[in-house]
Amino acid sequence: MSADTGRIARDLRRFDEIVRGRIKQDLKRYVTGSEMIGRRGDRLVSIPVPRIELPRFRFGQNGKGQGQGQSSSSGEGKQGDGPAVGSAGSESGHHLLEVELSLEEMAAILGEELELPNIQPRGRARVEVASRRYDSISPEGPRSLRHLRRTMKSSLKRQISEGTWDPNDPRLVPAPEDWRYRSFRDVTRPDHAAMILYMMDVSGSMGREQKEIVRLVSFWIDTWLRSQYRSLETRYMVHDAAAKHVDQDTFYRLRESGGTKISSAYELADELLSKEFPAPEWNLYLFHFSDGDNWSGRDTEKCLELLRDKLLPNANMFCYGQVKSAYGSGQFKKDLDAALSTEDHVISCDILDREGILPAIKTFLGKGL
Amino acid sequence: MTRPGPSLLQLQADVQARAEQAGLQLPEIVYEVVDHRRLNEIAAYGGFPVRYPHWRFGMEYDRLIKGHAYGLQKIYELVVNTRPVVAYLLSQNAPVEQKLVMAHVCGHADFFAHNAWFAHTEGDMMDRLASHGTRLRVLSDEVGVDAVEDFVDLVQGLDNLVDAGALGRAVDHAGNAPPLDGEATERDLLGHLLLHAPLLDWQHEVLAILRDEAYYFLPQGLTKIMNEGWASFWHSRLMTSELLRDAEVVDYAEQHSGAMGGSDGPMNPYKLGIELFRELFLRGGGERGGGLDAIFEARTIHNDLTFVDAHLDLDFARAHRLGDTDEQCAQAREQLLASLTNGGQPVIRRVAPRERGELSLSHSWSGSELQIDVAGETLVNLGRLWRAPVSLVTRLEGRELLLLCVDGEIRREFGELLERPAELGSSA
Repeated sequence: MSADTGRIARDLRRFDEIVRGRIKQDLKRYVTGSEMIGRRGDRLVSIPVPRIELPRFRFGQNGKGQGQGQSSSSGEGKQGDGPAVGSAGSESGHHLLEVELSLEEMAAILGEELELPNIQPRGRARVEVASRRYDSISPEGPRSLRHLRRTMKSSLKRQISEGTWDPNDPRLVPAPEDWRYRSFRDVTRPDHAAMILYMMDVSGSMGREQKEIVRLVSFWIDTWLRSQYRSLETRYMVHDAAAKHVDQDTFYRLRESGGTKISSAYELADELLSKEFPAPEWNLYLFHFSDGDNWSGRDTEKCLELLRDKLLPNANMFCYGQVKSAYGSGQFKKDLDAALSTEDHVISCDILDREGILPAIKTFLGKGL
Repeated sequence: MTRPGPSLLQLQADVQARAEQAGLQLPEIVYEVVDHRRLNEIAAYGGFPVRYPHWRFGMEYDRLIKGHAYGLQKIYELVVNTRPVVAYLLSQNAPVEQKLVMAHVCGHADFFAHNAWFAHTEGDMMDRLASHGTRLRVLSDEVGVDAVEDFVDLVQGLDNLVDAGALGRAVDHAGNAPPLDGEATERDLLGHLLLHAPLLDWQHEVLAILRDEAYYFLPQGLTKIMNEGWASFWHSRLMTSELLRDAEVVDYAEQHSGAMGGSDGPMNPYKLGIELFRELFLRGGGERGGGLDAIFEARTIHNDLTFVDAHLDLDFARAHRLGDTDEQCAQAREQLLASLTNGGQPVIRRVAPRERGELSLSHSWSGSELQIDVAGETLVNLGRLWRAPVSLVTRLEGRELLLLCVDGEIRREFGELLERPAELGSSA
């Protein structure tokens, strides 16, 4: 946890690093994942509490052959199970949710693990971020927000003005109209605006596994960028020989078919940007995933032209991830690299398999553009 | 961390005056007011504001702070056995909670000052543990953070190999650990290593520090039921007879039953302890008779094991539903005693070396097996300190088992059958 100060912060950090296997790898095998059962609302949740149990002489069960898992309760509490043991199995029907890491925490971990630089936003602050602030008083509201002091004040005022106030018997009985309640107002403050556009090749050569990889990469990129911008627009686009806008769900589920004309996607992207996301106002992140098997060299020429003239001048970053597929030639990345190697906000990357996901994210986001 | 304000100081004076009238003999008590983060930090450090640097404290803190964040546990009070006794108050506590905590702390302070098992502990532990921390930080600078921490890891795995029976020998002697003139006792393995293991100078110093701390914390593990029981007995008595105002009764009752609660029997040390003291008080003759004398004597001479052995009889077991039948009660009593023997730690003693240069240990059988794979790893760690063969004789599935560690390799040799192994499932 982040806000811990004082000396314990150092010990806590060291513990975290051991648990994550960053330092002292020989202790990693003593890490046990125990948990606490907590409550969030009316759900039971499991809170992971990693422990490191150094070997010491202790009593324990010995299974046949290999030692069985050790008792997870550490030391304290009831050692000898009394006759009345809490029925551990009786709640087996409930599903315990692991306490989700918030996406912010996850992004922080991702950023830390991959040593991602924080992004420097550009453009004027444009978007208004809304939040609520409870800093005013209203004569109407829910009972839970009653403001007693203000209620008493208005009651006193009323009684004095009515002449019913008796200093010798200073009783205040609030009438219905005296009640005051805390209330909120919406406050807005400006923020940088950012948009991510994901473009995916869904031609016949992009199989299920390729799309899965794209999905994972996009998810993590999304998570990271969301941690950097409070308000983030996300758009999705798929293309085979023709490109179209889709929603997030479709983006991840659409089945493969057809041939490949990458330029169709870039054309549509250009149209989108010029219509809805004018460049100086927006931080634009463009991602394109394909297996690199474009229809023809002529179309690739057209793509490069579109990139150079239309998309690149406006985008913070253009990332091309080439997923390896059984059918793809992978030619597009070669052409792209050859033509645009001087543009330092063009990043291309091969993703051979799932192992390649993390390195790809690091390649894409490592520049902090 | 702040000193208590005037109202808390007034409260402290009131509570302590009542406690002393009632018969407690209090050393000086100093309160600090802290927020929950700091309280959890101090709790992770075993009650002290500063310890030597080690990830284990971070691990404890992680558990405490998560438990706190999800409302699973809350530490109300923390008392440290030092002179003056230092106790921490949570700044968010309501006034009636602070009063309860102070009454409770009076019990602990009296216990630390008079229980025989604490007679050897040094009074300057705040300074001592802080200077241990400073020493380990300096050594970390000199020989490296990892080197020192790895060595501490090794020793911490062995810090239950201390001799509770030798505690008395540390009285009239500087330090918490028994003196090492000539030889360590057969159960004081840390002492033996200090005298005879081939250690570097800095390792020797670290081992001496960790041994001293192990002996300081040892009696707290041996008197948990008594210490909490004593403090709870007195907070209950003081609050309900003198200190509570009418408006506070319900809040107090809720706090008190929360601390005594726990659905799974009276193993809650607070509950078991307070009931044992109450029983003893009543049987000793209560208010007018010798009840008070009986409990004051018990708080002086006993540890958990002897206390439970002497006073948890069948009548008590029946009254507190430790079992439905007499047999179950007897069994529960035996289990409890077994879990309290040597503070729940296996008794390991040094025996005559099987071969020259070997460090030979024997596990005194008390009915429970050691976890053998972990015992093997522990031996390997011990071997790294001893730098010669080490061995342990224990028992597994009714047979004598020799674990031998030579050059980091563990060999197992089974000996003769000592008893029939228990039938599988017969005890379920």
